[in-house]
Amino acid sequence: MGVMRIGHINIRVLDMDAALHHYENVLGLLRADQDGDGNVYLRGWDEWDKYSVILSPSDRAGMNHIAYKVESDDDLDVLRRRIEAYGIEVEECPAGALPDCGRSLRFHLPSGHLMYLYAEKTYVGKAVSTTNPDPWPDGLKGAGVHWLDHALLMCELDPESGVNKVEESTAFMQDVLDFKLTEQVLVGPDGDIKAATWLARTSTPHDIAFVGGPVKGLHHCAFFLDEWSDVLKAADVMAKNKVKIDVTPQRHGITRGATIYFFDPSGNRNETFAGLGYLAQPDMPVITWTEDELGRGIFYHTGELNEAFTTVYTEGA
Amino acid sequence: MSDEAPCPVFDVRIADTGEVYQCPARETLLKAMARLGRKGIPSGCHGGGCGVCKVRVTGEVTTMAMSRSHVSETEERQGYVLACRCYPRGHLSVEVVGKLHKAVTRPRYGFV
Repeated sequence: MGVMRIGHINIRVLDMDAALHHYENVLGLLRADQDGDGNVYLRGWDEWDKYSVILSPSDRAGMNHIAYKVESDDDLDVLRRRIEAYGIEVEECPAGALPDCGRSLRFHLPSGHLMYLYAEKTYVGKAVSTTNPDPWPDGLKGAGVHWLDHALLMCELDPESGVNKVEESTAFMQDVLDFKLTEQVLVGPDGDIKAATWLARTSTPHDIAFVGGPVKGLHHCAFFLDEWSDVLKAADVMAKNKVKIDVTPQRHGITRGATIYFFDPSGNRNETFAGLGYLAQPDMPVITWTEDELGRGIFYHTGELNEAFTTVYTEGA
Repeated sequence: MSDEAPCPVFDVRIADTGEVYQCPARETLLKAMARLGRKGIPSGCHGGGCGVCKVRVTGEVTTMAMSRSHVSETEERQGYVLACRCYPRGHLSVEVVGKLHKAVTRPRYGFV
């Protein structure tokens, strides 16, 4: 019942040819479709729905929307009522409003980010089929990422003015969409200000994350890799292609993921995220990171927050 | 011997610090600075999306697409560019406009 997982992200790009080289040849996503407006649809080889990334040509980098897939069509009716009861306006969009998807719910998170929920998307199957499959397909390009794993959204945080959109969006995800809070960063003189949160509906450490910053934005979207050796290879692929790497292979303290942060050719941050971290069962206690150990939470090895972490990101709507 | 035509190299002067570095015509102002290990222009996404490397340039340049979130058409006409999208076509002077930390003087709450 309810939300299953991240379904797709719609990213705006300044140069489609450069973007396609990046998402197809560097990340290894497979092209699924292209529409008359120039939007291109892609997916990872291990995904079975038609697409998980929409690239849209634009003169502003950033994210248009993020979408999550719910288990059944009836869930949309239940969730619509819950979202409206929470005081958030919901628009019900007909099938096809999201290409290749059934009807969808369109609303804004308290942080202002545009989110959709849908129950159906055209099924195309994994690249390795479902009968006696090989562990990976031939012909994968670049890093060969498996799937869109999660996104981190920057939310306005200004405690002195009483603004904390991290807390508001987190509460919404927990109370209305039944996400589980797995980890949080608590800051401030009394250690009670939620400055960042990680939430899940799957049993992975996160399907979405929120971090406080000066303005709303897209911090990154992440693609899954199996293990550390895949991360090293992905970094080699990025170096070969002169991709701007923000943080070279390293481990996050939070979520335990093995990571690379890097930028697409329009400056949207991507991540390759390896490992399942831990089993985020509903009764797993929430993990808390304190302000003094925040650097280690984000970048476990160096223990230092990279200056770009909360200042370099693209628009969130 | 290389078959490639020689690439002109131009001086880029960072007005704020007086530092000068060399930038080949085929490399962006930001990439050349970073490759030389030099500082002065804040380094972010290198894709024209985040805006931290915004500079006002005096001199001749060519530019690639820059996110309009950070450089409006009016600003572009006035010489504002993102250094990561900007190639020199002559010796240049740049004034740094973008900032990494907008809030260094107030208390920080973890990330802000």
